[in-house]
Amino acid sequence: MIDATILLWGVAIGCIYVLLATGLNLIFGVMKLVNFAHGELLMLGAYVSYSVTTGLGLDVYLSLFVSMAVIALVGLGVERLAFRRVLGADKLNEIFVSLGLILIFDNAAVLIWGEDSKWLTSPFKGMGIQLDEVFLRYDLLIAFAVVAAILVGLLLLINKTKIGMAMRATSQKSQAAMLMGINIEHIYIFTFVLGAALAGAAGTLFGIIFPFNPYIGALPTIKTFAIIILGGLGSIKGAIIGGLLFGIAENLASATLGGIWGDAVAFALLIIVLILRPEGLFGEKSS
Amino acid sequence: MFTKENLLKLLQTTKGRLVLIAIVVALVIPLVLSSNYMLNILTLIVIFTIYASSWNLLASSGQGSLGHAAFLGIGGFTSSLLAINLGIPPIIGIFIAGAFSAGIGFMIGITCVRLKAWFLAMVTFGFSIIAATLFTEFNDVTHAVLGFVPPPLLFSSRLPFYYFAFLISLASVAVMYFIMKSKMGLAFKAIHQNEAEARMIGVNTAKYKLYAFVLSTFFAGLSGAIYAHFQRYIHISIFSADNSFLPLMMSVIGGLGTIEGPIIGSVIMVFIDHFLTNIDTFLNSVLGPLFPAVSHVGPNIRLVGLGIFLVIVVILLPKGVTSLLHKLYHYVRKEIIKSE
Repeated sequence: MIDATILLWGVAIGCIYVLLATGLNLIFGVMKLVNFAHGELLMLGAYVSYSVTTGLGLDVYLSLFVSMAVIALVGLGVERLAFRRVLGADKLNEIFVSLGLILIFDNAAVLIWGEDSKWLTSPFKGMGIQLDEVFLRYDLLIAFAVVAAILVGLLLLINKTKIGMAMRATSQKSQAAMLMGINIEHIYIFTFVLGAALAGAAGTLFGIIFPFNPYIGALPTIKTFAIIILGGLGSIKGAIIGGLLFGIAENLASATLGGIWGDAVAFALLIIVLILRPEGLFGEKSS
Repeated sequence: MFTKENLLKLLQTTKGRLVLIAIVVALVIPLVLSSNYMLNILTLIVIFTIYASSWNLLASSGQGSLGHAAFLGIGGFTSSLLAINLGIPPIIGIFIAGAFSAGIGFMIGITCVRLKAWFLAMVTFGFSIIAATLFTEFNDVTHAVLGFVPPPLLFSSRLPFYYFAFLISLASVAVMYFIMKSKMGLAFKAIHQNEAEARMIGVNTAKYKLYAFVLSTFFAGLSGAIYAHFQRYIHISIFSADNSFLPLMMSVIGGLGTIEGPIIGSVIMVFIDHFLTNIDTFLNSVLGPLFPAVSHVGPNIRLVGLGIFLVIVVILLPKGVTSLLHKLYHYVRKEIIKSE
């Protein structure tokens, strides 16, 4: 009944969502900041990879690191120039700033790279293993491995290092963290830059698997928020499970009900969950 | 409230005089600038004033919708389809459209009252996508995919239409003004500032948030219906995210939470929109050579500028352009008093 290929592609897009969702979840958890322009960083990441691979002839998988570095810098600029100045005030202001950033990034990307769809040419293009009826592309396997490696690294960083401990402390109670001598300003910058770098990595992987244009960022952002809500705010485990489930559910709906239903079913699912459990599936009840 | 003395007293205040001047200007200006092109712009401004004010009313209760286009579209399609299928005259249809939109708004509102600001933004955005999908799926009923021409609203000529739209807009803004000044408006403000505290002092936050949702979606539906009869065309694209972000930008740029903000914002945004061919040609001739990847850079540069403007307004002018006007007014008044 359920085609294995559909599941495979669901997991592939799910992996992209997982990277975005963990980044956003970190930013939200530590800074309590809602960045609706997070998906634009993914879009920019894909384009940065495009530029360094076509311009400098770099391998696409090496360009992942360039993309992470450049998008981390962009994140630094965004945090310092825009979000820092509205942090802690009205929550609506963060949404407005995000919308302004979406307008800026989308149109700047059109100006620099044009509106046509682009894609990243992988060295393993068209290669893969045939398993029964499923064609397993090497690119997908590499993407799964990269996402897994990044997540393991991230968990180690958060749980085993000093800065990770500082991030967790800030996330739990920023004022108490400040009293303990943690410079939460630096933790905020680090967290935002880390989240941006994850989005940059997601952008390169997205560009290898799917074609992209300057407008691809908006929907993944909203879906990522849906995933975070499903998985529970601040829960990285929730973001991983939620991201994969969301990718599969969306792909199944598109395949069985027709293309236009993919997004609608995904959001209907979100609304139902929010009605039944406003704190998310795995989230802890908070005030 | 509306006794003669009260109105006279109102006219003696500067605010009252300013409102009166604004109304007189709005009534006279189409007679001076009577070209069809200008009338078009003026009518769009008054229609978007209703739409932006409805968004602003919802935001004044701390609920920022990212999917208000859903209600604009539902209003537009309801009135147009009623007129075409059942022959209901649009002049009644627009109010049915508002009521129907408010009914849908009630159902969305119920799911939203327990949610925090960013969850609500998500749910409303998601709802606008679901609405567009449903209207596409049931195209046999809605005729949304190809679009259709709804009948005119009483008047097909532009000048009377402008005055009609202006009257509705004036009445809507007045109603929203009195709501925001009433006990309900104070409750909205309290919820916006701190929901937990509002609940503590005995405000039934869920009830008032739902009121805000229903009232806001009524006016959004009403403006959508008038918009459809004005454009004489309605199509699935009315649900686009651009239309959802428009009232937000109008309110924020004009001045969030103020009654005059959305009006000033819609004047600014509609003017930008309508002189954009000139703006775009200018930008293209000046900055075009810098960006060889695009054939016509005007629209994109304009949108980048708009984005930067929005961010700057939010950071530096949290009360929007209106606060600048207030400052200017106080400055001028001080100077006058000094010179006397």
